[in-house]
Amino acid sequence: MRWAGHAVGAALVVIGLGGLAAEGVLVGWALWFGGVLVVHDALLAPGVAVAGTVISRWPRPVRTALILAGTLFLATLPTVLAPGRRADNPSILPLAYGVNLVIVLAVIALLAVADHLLSASRKD
Amino acid sequence: MILTTIAARFTSPLRSEQVAAKLGAWLGASFTVAFATGLFSHFLQHPPAWLLWPSRPVNLYRVTQGLHVIGGIATIPLLLAKLWAVYPKLWQWPPFRSAGHAVERLCVLLLVAGALFQLVTGVLNIAYVYPWPFGFLQAHYWTAYIVYGALLIHVVNEWAKVRRSLLTRVESPDRRRFLLTVAAACGLTVLVTAGEAVTPLERLAVLAPRNPRVGPQGVPVNRSAAAAGVAADPDYRLLVTGAVRTPLSLRHADLVRMPQHTVRLPISCVEGWSVECEWTGIRLRDLLLSAGAAPDAFVTVESLERTGAYRTSEIRPPHWTDPLTLLALRINGQPLDADHGFPVRLITPNRPGVQQTKWVKEVRVA
Repeated sequence: MRWAGHAVGAALVVIGLGGLAAEGVLVGWALWFGGVLVVHDALLAPGVAVAGTVISRWPRPVRTALILAGTLFLATLPTVLAPGRRADNPSILPLAYGVNLVIVLAVIALLAVADHLLSASRKD
Repeated sequence: MILTTIAARFTSPLRSEQVAAKLGAWLGASFTVAFATGLFSHFLQHPPAWLLWPSRPVNLYRVTQGLHVIGGIATIPLLLAKLWAVYPKLWQWPPFRSAGHAVERLCVLLLVAGALFQLVTGVLNIAYVYPWPFGFLQAHYWTAYIVYGALLIHVVNEWAKVRRSLLTRVESPDRRRFLLTVAAACGLTVLVTAGEAVTPLERLAVLAPRNPRVGPQGVPVNRSAAAAGVAADPDYRLLVTGAVRTPLSLRHADLVRMPQHTVRLPISCVEGWSVECEWTGIRLRDLLLSAGAAPDAFVTVESLERTGAYRTSEIRPPHWTDPLTLLALRINGQPLDADHGFPVRLITPNRPGVQQTKWVKEVRVA
């Protein structure tokens, strides 16, 4: 069974690489493929590890809120910065994303503070 | 030698096999959904000659593409958490214990880079940012095979750990809380974006690239008439040509006088947003059968646009013979805005928005 799984997996990888080569975009693609990996492994992950050390003694609800805020920020960043807006089509990226992000982050912060106060009062 | 001890310096007990295996199982599910819905979308747009997709259920593409895009966004916190949990393994020493181990790590590299590549390009694409030297469609499509292939190999290699994690409950409260936080992060991204497709949640979609009620006549558009270079033409004629008994040439006024039908169909964009509208116009089936087209003919609809990958679309028998398929003249009770394809646009059930050709000038029967 193991070899069958390996064979199907390897075949799919070869199909994908072959398709990119046939389209003639292998080099530009490889730069991005390696680029996102380097940005994650050499910048984002070490940065998060350092941040994790800094906040390791902070109250738990605050750490939870920071995980929520950080991942939401990364997941919506291209929309929030909205460089894709176009003059001829205002239906693309139509909202005030900066304000909206601040509101969502404020709600997360409020919930974290409430959670912290509630858990602190329970300990008393 | 500092390199030999890096891995041991990550001391958080959350960076554990149990957490990694649970997150891995969730990721396996989400990448499977993304791969399946992505292939569906691709082959809906590029079907082999023998394949006749059904035109029903009406909302099938709306659901699958919504899952693909919103599910993809929700996978971002999941992937980041998983990579966080296994990050010390990147620095294991020695880096390769054997040739087999080196191959295994190469597969992991393809999986990690590929997963990051798919999420980064996907999330940029739905925000209309294309900073790369390749076509998004080709790169996202072919990379999907690489990611899924590497994922299969990885699952086979790690199956014992996956099985253990699926069969056992997470007992440590810290680990449970962490997994819960990751699930909440995924849920939060869904909450603030899903409304661009799930219209009842529209008001919550504060960080979605689209609002399903914002656009000309309250409906979003992808390509404006200005971008397409299409202007109103008083001499406009809709042509029906090709393998028909009677070729037709119809003015807008002729089309308005023909029997009108009103249907409710969604416009479902490949970029994930969708919204149901009320369309009024003539049935494509009525038009083609009156011109004497064979019911099993393949049909091509061509736009007034001069350039662009989507200026034509092929429409096969299950779709053009469907009574819901219209050449629409009106949207939500008003004459089509130029940006929605005035004078005439195609609207069919269970097809991507890019194939709902706007500014139709010719219907060619093969």
